[in-house]
Amino acid sequence: MTAISNNQDLLHRVLLGKKEILVTEDEPLLAQLERAGILVEYQCREGYCSSCSLKLLRGNVIYLEEPLAWVQSGYLLACCAIVKSDIEIAFFSNN
Amino acid sequence: MSYSTFNRKRFDSMKEPMFFGENVNVARYDQQKHPIFEKLIEKQLSFFWRPEEVDLSSDRKDFQRLEAHEQHIFLSNLKYQTLLDSVQGRSPNVALLPIVSIPELETWIETWSFSETIHSRSYTHIIRNIVNDPSLVFDDITENAEITKRAESVSKWYDDLILLVGLYNTLGPGVHNVPGKGEVDVNLKALKKALYLTMVSVNVLEAIRFYVSFACSFAFAERTLMEGNAKIIKLIARDEALHLTGTQHILNLMASGKDDPEMEEIAKECEDEAYQIFFEAAEQEKEWASYLFKDGSMIGLNAQILGQYVEYITNIRMQAIGLLPTFETKHNPIPWINAWLVSDNVQVAPQEAEISSYLVGQIDNDLDESDFDDFDL
Ligand code: FES
Ligand SMILES: [Fe+2]
Ligand SMILES: [Fe+2]
Repeated sequence: MTAISNNQDLLHRVLLGKKEILVTEDEPLLAQLERAGILVEYQCREGYCSSCSLKLLRGNVIYLEEPLAWVQSGYLLACCAIVKSDIEIAFFSNN
Repeated sequence: MSYSTFNRKRFDSMKEPMFFGENVNVARYDQQKHPIFEKLIEKQLSFFWRPEEVDLSSDRKDFQRLEAHEQHIFLSNLKYQTLLDSVQGRSPNVALLPIVSIPELETWIETWSFSETIHSRSYTHIIRNIVNDPSLVFDDITENAEITKRAESVSKWYDDLILLVGLYNTLGPGVHNVPGKGEVDVNLKALKKALYLTMVSVNVLEAIRFYVSFACSFAFAERTLMEGNAKIIKLIARDEALHLTGTQHILNLMASGKDDPEMEEIAKECEDEAYQIFFEAAEQEKEWASYLFKDGSMIGLNAQILGQYVEYITNIRMQAIGLLPTFETKHNPIPWINAWLVSDNVQVAPQEAEISSYLVGQIDNDLDESDFDDFDL
């Protein structure tokens, strides 16, 4: 696993299809997925374009600042979402 | 019924819907029904840039060295973008200002449309720098069938709405006989429907129609060609991302019914037409890619890959307004584009562009023979 936190208690599991990645609460989900070799769509990387929107099937995320982009219920913005529990995500609502 | 530039009525603008309520009177931002529009204004202002600040002297030399079919790709995209920003530099103002009812949204519309005029001015800056006679490029925009076909699609929803709003604001509801149009049934429901579909069409313009052109600009820059242009395109892409978020907010607020309960119904009733607008645009963009590459492709891009990219971003944009991502392509076939679209390095020196150059080769290697079927190298 590439994501190593100083505080082991704050590791969360991210389930994406058959892949499982461990993430910390130290930085947004997008950067951690990228380091794990997962390509996620992005453009602005600061919450205003909605390109990095992912389906959040289960679990909780928070935003340190409210993003400018509209966040659909049941979705998250990977570039600025901090993962707060084990989560399950998908790229699209129907894949 | 008629539009007033300063509505004398006393009313609480915090209770007005986004559109078709009272005409705005006091331009005040101390209280906001939808604070998002004030935030978008601030963000857009922070993005302010001037085309003339981008040096294009090496682009002129690069352009002269491009092969004829590459010049065709480059100029055609510029023409198409010029069309899109010509429309966007005026239409939000003409179509939406007469019907908007909250001050922060009114000012967002003006700020948004103003930023499009910067884009238009940047095309003049680019064209002046690469050709001796800019008219040869600009004049073709109203003559070239591939462009005019698209002009029809991007302007028809606006034009329908503008006609209806004009009649509504002068003659009021009713069936009116309009020379050249026949009987036109003007009622609030029809106006709201025209508004909703216009917003979908504008969302498609902002969120999909620019991206084939963006991809080509960045593919040139990956080869360290036309880098001044790529810098301008990065600035434009940053603005467009904000515009698409603005239209997504308007559409999602409408569909939620929280702003105007009748708009929720209308959004549901218009779902099929909304899908059709997305499908038509995606189809046109794929055809556009074929037109661009009719005489030859460019390294890393061909019509098929661009077609897949169009499907992919159309899926993303549809999902963002609550529609199903119905296209086959669920992965980005040109992931290197995102490193160009990202705004945090807009100010980089052109030579830093080389960092990601290897990616074009990488994408190229992923192609198999069948990818090359539809064009000649
Ligand atoms: S990349 Fe723009 S909102 Fe996340
Ligand atoms: Fe624009
Ligand atoms: Fe725009």
